[in-house]
Amino acid sequence: MEVDREDGRTQNQLRPLACSRNVLHRAHGSASWYQGDTKVLAAVYGPKAGARKNENPEKACIEVIWKPKTGQTGKLEKEYEMILKRTLQSICILTVNPNTTTSIIIQVVNDDGALLPCAINAACVALVDAGIPMKHLAVAICCCVAKSGYVIMDPTKLEEQKMKSFAYLVFPNSVHSVLPEGSVQGEPMEHGIVTSVTHGIMSVDDYFYCLERGCAASAKLSDFLRRSLQRHPTDSSKAG
Amino acid sequence: MAAKPGSAPTTYSPSLTQKTRPPIFKGNDLDWVRPDGRGFHQCRPAFFRTGAVNSASGSAYAEFGNTKVIVSVFGPRESKKAMMYSDIGRLNCNVSYTTFATPVRGQGSDHKEFSSMLHKALEGAIMLETFPKTTVDVFALVLESGGSDLPVVISCASLALADAGIMMYDLVAAVSVSCLGKNLVIDPILEEESYQDGSLMLTCMPSRYEVTQLIFTGEWSTPDINEAMQLCLDACGKLGKVMRSCLKEATSASQE
Amino acid sequence: MGLPNASGDLSTEVEVDAFRRLFPLRFYEKHLSESIRPDARPLGRARDTTIALGAVASANGSALAKIGSTTMLAAIKMEVMTPSTETPDEGCVAIDFHMPPICSPIVRPGRPAEAAPVVSKQLSDTILSSGMISLKELCLVSGKAAWMAYLDIYCLDADGALFDTALLSAVAAFSHLEIPVVSLNDDGKIVLLSEEQEGMSEREPVNKEKRKLTLCSIPFSLTCILHKNYILADPTAEEESIMETLVTIVLDSSSQLVSLYKPGGPVLAYTSAIQDCIAITRQRVKELQKILEEAISVMEVD
Repeated sequence: MEVDREDGRTQNQLRPLACSRNVLHRAHGSASWYQGDTKVLAAVYGPKAGARKNENPEKACIEVIWKPKTGQTGKLEKEYEMILKRTLQSICILTVNPNTTTSIIIQVVNDDGALLPCAINAACVALVDAGIPMKHLAVAICCCVAKSGYVIMDPTKLEEQKMKSFAYLVFPNSVHSVLPEGSVQGEPMEHGIVTSVTHGIMSVDDYFYCLERGCAASAKLSDFLRRSLQRHPTDSSKAG
Repeated sequence: MAAKPGSAPTTYSPSLTQKTRPPIFKGNDLDWVRPDGRGFHQCRPAFFRTGAVNSASGSAYAEFGNTKVIVSVFGPRESKKAMMYSDIGRLNCNVSYTTFATPVRGQGSDHKEFSSMLHKALEGAIMLETFPKTTVDVFALVLESGGSDLPVVISCASLALADAGIMMYDLVAAVSVSCLGKNLVIDPILEEESYQDGSLMLTCMPSRYEVTQLIFTGEWSTPDINEAMQLCLDACGKLGKVMRSCLKEATSASQE
Repeated sequence: MGLPNASGDLSTEVEVDAFRRLFPLRFYEKHLSESIRPDARPLGRARDTTIALGAVASANGSALAKIGSTTMLAAIKMEVMTPSTETPDEGCVAIDFHMPPICSPIVRPGRPAEAAPVVSKQLSDTILSSGMISLKELCLVSGKAAWMAYLDIYCLDADGALFDTALLSAVAAFSHLEIPVVSLNDDGKIVLLSEEQEGMSEREPVNKEKRKLTLCSIPFSLTCILHKNYILADPTAEEESIMETLVTIVLDSSSQLVSLYKPGGPVLAYTSAIQDCIAITRQRVKELQKILEEAISVMEVD
């Protein structure tokens, strides 16, 4: 099915990606992540001595602070903070630094659709930059389902508003390992969902279709992430 | 896709304003009937049930006509703030309202005045020395306000404390009386409270016949005060029996 | 579990209750391997669910929902507002979720629970995007006045599956909601019409009779825990704190997916697990539909 998108992309095409890390001097780790005109800046402070409130003698604590572009933090930001916190908790190895707190500050620079996935990707790069021990990386993608049933990837804000529903999906990145490839019930690990958030009505089949397409698109994102992390931290990397 | 507008628009309740409604009571009229048909010295039927909230150490639900209240008790547990060492335990009380408790939608905020009054009414009855260094939290939520809210909260709280196994000298029962013109009405409803000239609330430990708190507001004559206090003490005695039987029922049910 | 060997020796000696507290995960896994849960439920079974309509007399619509011991009280108050210029013939629904300090030992006054704004946002997203309510039905006078439905949900007892119970109470409150009879007064304000005034008023009532909203495609939800290969439906608070991967699925009455919510968690959800969760949710939706219908029919008999 051919679909016309305003920016001339095909259904599965992502917007140009750009990523640079170590952009802030004071933070222990930082990154900026662009997907088209959506830009998010992430800073990581820690591991630092546990704040009394969320002290845990067995595990490290992760704290996320979401700073919107303008205005105050409301319910939406609180929800994003919670999703991001839970997502990052599941990819970090928390038992290495028990009784510490790691703060991740997300600053939205510009929102042009797929904001939460963009923030998750940025946070991931910033955590690597800060040297926080992680099991694997996470790649996040937004899939939109249109009224007529087709699915597009990485929508802009305009597309997001026109669509019937959308799903934010987060997958683990493909692991390069010397060990035999791990799989669960015949599915490779990178097909497992770390996080899923949907909005709007879709059929169950639509969701599985999104899952399949999102998974394929995340492989590209995952490659880009790997390449940009291998580069020297001060060079910024770009991909079309 | 339906979405809320960015800023909340101002709204108003379409309910009738006070002036359009005929007043229930005029001037020195002695022959008026209470809106719910009760006698002047007759309380609303009281309903209590303990164990309303499973996640609390103790809890109770009370329903007096339209006044519905839940009280949870937590603790004795670690004091929230780093406070000085103390030989006796601390009591922490909080009363809040739901947004739909009152006829006109409210903010659902904490009621500071009631919180401190609840604290004063209960602290005399609790054996604080039995839980040194720790705090007992008493939290009340008024689900629906139908008049005489504070007395219902206090009675309900003492029952919740008993359910939590906190040591007390006695249960605390509370009753209020409103003065409307020449009449004294016991256990007033919301509408009567809005017309009252004065009110009196008495909380006491019925078995010991000791008063823990007494509050007057408004205009009172000495004979009226005496009469109202006697009314309250009698009513508290009866209420105490109802509360006691509720506790007995709960324990006998759990033993079976 | 830091010391699995040491715990093995201990486990034979300690009492069940102590074992449950000291090694919660092992305690649960022993049950799960026997396909049973500590509260005697099979893994896929939800707890007993009840709905009572009309619990709050001062509200226009209200309901009390209980799943196990998790209790939610939802009430709707109708107020009047001026509709926005973009949507002159649509009303509005404002949804708020509260966790007062009475509901759980974690919440204390002045320090609201972290979960409350998140559940609140999830609820309003789900209810508004499900298309259950047509906002056009909340119109009174086009461009001048429309209903604003304030839905407030209070958690009275928190024992897991907060979102499921809150959504159930919200949906039940909407099915109990009665829009009152109102007319326009001389000041251009909407006022209630009491029954004796109805015939006498010279003004035509704007809303002629008490009416109910038509609810199409009602959303119902089920939260499941994923732990290893087990799927546990409708978790208690204890289960939620021990096994942290939660999936909440919302389906409407025509089996369309309204939301599939999995915020992180140590277990990855594969397609097969998601399919199993959806199948359990389908069953649960049928159960909940029946419970709601029964509650409504009980109300109509009274």
